[in-house]
Amino acid sequence: MKFRGKILDIACLNHFTRVITTISKLTKTCVLRLTPDNLFFVLSGKVANGGVSMWCELSQANFFDEYQMEGVSPEDNEICLEVTPENLSRALKTLQNAKAVKVKLTKKHCPCLTIAAELPTLSSINRVVTHDVPVDVIPRRLWNEFKEPSMPDFDVSIYLPPLKTLKNIVDRMKNLSNFLVMEANLSGEMNLKIETDLVSVTTHFKDLGNPPWGDEASQDGGPSQSRDPEDMAQARVDIRKLQQFLMGQQVNPSKAMCNIVHERVVHLILLHEDVSLQYFIPAVA
Amino acid sequence: MDCVVTGGNVKVLAKAIHSLSRIGDELYVEPQEDGLALRSVNSSRSAYACFLFAPLFFSRYTVHSGHTFRCKMAIKSVQAVFRSLASLEKTVEKCHIELDDQNNRLTFTLHCKHGLMKTHNLSFQDSESLQAVFDKDSYANVFRSNPRLLVDTVMHFPPSLEEVTVSVSDERMWVRNHVEEEGDQSKAMLTELCLASDEFDHFAVQAHNSVTFCLKELRGLLVFAESTGLPMSMYFDEPGSPVVLSVTDSVLEGNFVLATLSDDSNHRKKNNSRGAHTLPPPPPDDFMNDDIDSYLIAMDTSVAPGPSATGPPTPQLADSICSKQTAAASHRTRLHSEEEEEDKTTDSGRPPNKKFCSLFFGSVLPPSPQMSTQPVSSQQVLASDSEDDVQ
Amino acid sequence: MPLSTQSQGDAEQYVLVASLDNARNLSNILKAITFKDHAIFSATPNGLKVTVEDSKCLQANAFIQAEIFQEFTIRDDSVGFQVNLTVLLDCLNIFGGSTVPGVSTALRMCYKGYGYPLTLFLEEGGVVTVCKINTQEPEEPVDFEFCSTNVTNKVILLSESLKEAFSELDMTSEVLQITMSPSQPYFRLSTFGNSGNAHYDYPKDSDMMELFRCTKTQTNRYKMSLLKPSTKALALSCKVSVRTDSRGFLSLQYLVRNDDGQICFVEYFCCPDEEVEEQ
Repeated sequence: MKFRGKILDIACLNHFTRVITTISKLTKTCVLRLTPDNLFFVLSGKVANGGVSMWCELSQANFFDEYQMEGVSPEDNEICLEVTPENLSRALKTLQNAKAVKVKLTKKHCPCLTIAAELPTLSSINRVVTHDVPVDVIPRRLWNEFKEPSMPDFDVSIYLPPLKTLKNIVDRMKNLSNFLVMEANLSGEMNLKIETDLVSVTTHFKDLGNPPWGDEASQDGGPSQSRDPEDMAQARVDIRKLQQFLMGQQVNPSKAMCNIVHERVVHLILLHEDVSLQYFIPAVA
Repeated sequence: MDCVVTGGNVKVLAKAIHSLSRIGDELYVEPQEDGLALRSVNSSRSAYACFLFAPLFFSRYTVHSGHTFRCKMAIKSVQAVFRSLASLEKTVEKCHIELDDQNNRLTFTLHCKHGLMKTHNLSFQDSESLQAVFDKDSYANVFRSNPRLLVDTVMHFPPSLEEVTVSVSDERMWVRNHVEEEGDQSKAMLTELCLASDEFDHFAVQAHNSVTFCLKELRGLLVFAESTGLPMSMYFDEPGSPVVLSVTDSVLEGNFVLATLSDDSNHRKKNNSRGAHTLPPPPPDDFMNDDIDSYLIAMDTSVAPGPSATGPPTPQLADSICSKQTAAASHRTRLHSEEEEEDKTTDSGRPPNKKFCSLFFGSVLPPSPQMSTQPVSSQQVLASDSEDDVQ
Repeated sequence: MPLSTQSQGDAEQYVLVASLDNARNLSNILKAITFKDHAIFSATPNGLKVTVEDSKCLQANAFIQAEIFQEFTIRDDSVGFQVNLTVLLDCLNIFGGSTVPGVSTALRMCYKGYGYPLTLFLEEGGVVTVCKINTQEPEEPVDFEFCSTNVTNKVILLSESLKEAFSELDMTSEVLQITMSPSQPYFRLSTFGNSGNAHYDYPKDSDMMELFRCTKTQTNRYKMSLLKPSTKALALSCKVSVRTDSRGFLSLQYLVRNDDGQICFVEYFCCPDEEVEEQ
């Protein structure tokens, strides 16, 4: 198992840092899968994290100027590590003006992802900072827990309104209630609803648009064909989970979508250049 | 005492008090003939700080000669006088500090814009003299730099980090976070920064040592140094003897004296692996070493290797009693004899791997000219490790 | 605009309809009196008065004149109800309460009468939020019988100078003592805390002092905990009028300028601390 990557471009470094910071806002620990072409940050939906799962995919070539890895074996050319994204984010944040940043898998007091950077100085010698971020190496037999989640057989898929608007509304609703009902239909309408003893609040979005998914997206040959476009699919979710997702957004995505499986799950997808982030929030009764 | 501070110096005074508040809960005030001394010490007596403002710092400075006066008060209440630090420069034109001996009040009067006058009458207690015993000029290692260098250095460490270890060679300084051996080391993130000697204004190393001390106080003085733009000096010797951080200009001097860990088995181990004591530490060019680092692990498909199984073997060093004794002994030479008994007390029942060497304060003669010039009655304060907080 | 079209038809069934192009003009002034959940709303053709009280010793009133609203329709001489103010504020700021120029939340507030919720229609950037806040029967606000003919001392200060003092108040002091006098110290705020006392003196000829009309030396103490909430009003205001009457009751009137430059008023009444009265 070997891994070493180098980032020279400041824009790439900033972007990489933002992605990691976003992930750090979503979960305390997650799994980092390294393959020859991609980096994946994975959180599998366990009860401990409220059933929430996450899948974030980065194309290595988009970030790294040099990238070398050797997996466990030629057949399983992957490395699977449990990491604390907060640590990675903290390390990277202090290196924003670095001339070069190297990320490598090292053997220190324990397995570590070592982030080393050369910082510019007025002196002839560069200032060098290294952060050893401890990781746990995940054995082969557990890898299947961290496979890409299959696209759920959603009832409605809809583009999200601007995330900042969404965040403002969810933040206020969070002050008023613990649960929120998200509902959407195939006419580009989405509602957020809360109801308590004191107040009921409904926010109506319209003209959001519904993404055109291929045939394979839904079992019955695409959602739009069999479904009444006005019919709402809804899911009641823990507001905190949704808030956490919106709070962490450091990346302004080019596309943000939401798939709802009626009373089962809310599946949020953000696409930005070569980064994709998927987040699954289970519905509660 | 009766003194007046005007203009930008009000902010300097306020910033000094603010940085002293990073040390302890009480402010010790002593008007001396050579200036106003403001001091603080932490509850475990492992950190001490003193600012001396020379008479020229003030636009008026009068003390009753031949009359020794000392007092202490809650530092928070003095901070409250200068609460709006940011706007202080714009709003306060003059600060008048006056001692009311009869009523045990120290009065701060701020003359502000628009004729607003703020008067704070603070109660105080009489206090013993507070002195740390240190002689920074005899220290083997001396460094001086623009505060920015250290600000940029500590920035890499998380705010929650308590201690840093500083190691030096002839050419370089390494700063890394100190992790307790018995702590959850496997989960702790380790950060190390390497600074070249020419980043400093002054870099003089006689002993290739490592010392570990608290970061909080360093940060406190850095805030002051940065706001006043004064270069900061660092003096240290061997593990166990305090590190001294200081800022100086023609009208003020600030010294922060921080205990360093004396039980240095921790560093010895690290240093041994890095060869800091005997060999120069690893060249920073390690960065440029493009060999692919590898972490090899037996990937048994049936057994999940836990951290304990995967971690590199940690050689169990023999408890470094001898080094501890050496440190303690060398320390003792600089101490009052009275302290030996207490020194023993502190020796027992302390956790083995975290022990700040004591700083001693009290009635000893002034160790350096900038400290009190007055002989004081004997009041012994013993510093011990931080665990004394929890009594 | 969806808000106006939506409610035209059923306007008659409402006893109160009030619309604002910028909901901040309401939410901001309500923030100045938010220290308890319960707020008493009383509307008359002149406008809206919102009252919040604490333990019969402190009362805060916010006045929003009818002219501030783009529409203000009231069917009775007076309409009253009580709502949870914190909830109302969260609703008014549902879109984040943006301060970006050109971005504002439009509001239409409707009330059908006793037993009905207060309904808010909010719109920003084409997104509509409907809130239904439960109402209760209004309680009768305490009458502090503060009458301008009984005013002993009065000063008007620019808020800026008081903001500094209030932000620095020693909160370990149980009381804030206010001295107003035709002679020195003219206008003095004092605290008596754990570590000593502090006095803030404003000379009568300070350029922060817009009006100084003190007839008699008066020193009164007010519970710090009661006066602390008034800091919120101070923060929003540009001028404050400090008055005391012969009984030592305190009236603080704040002049608040909203985003559109219109003027609203917030008023705090506070009883003097009883212990001192007895002394």
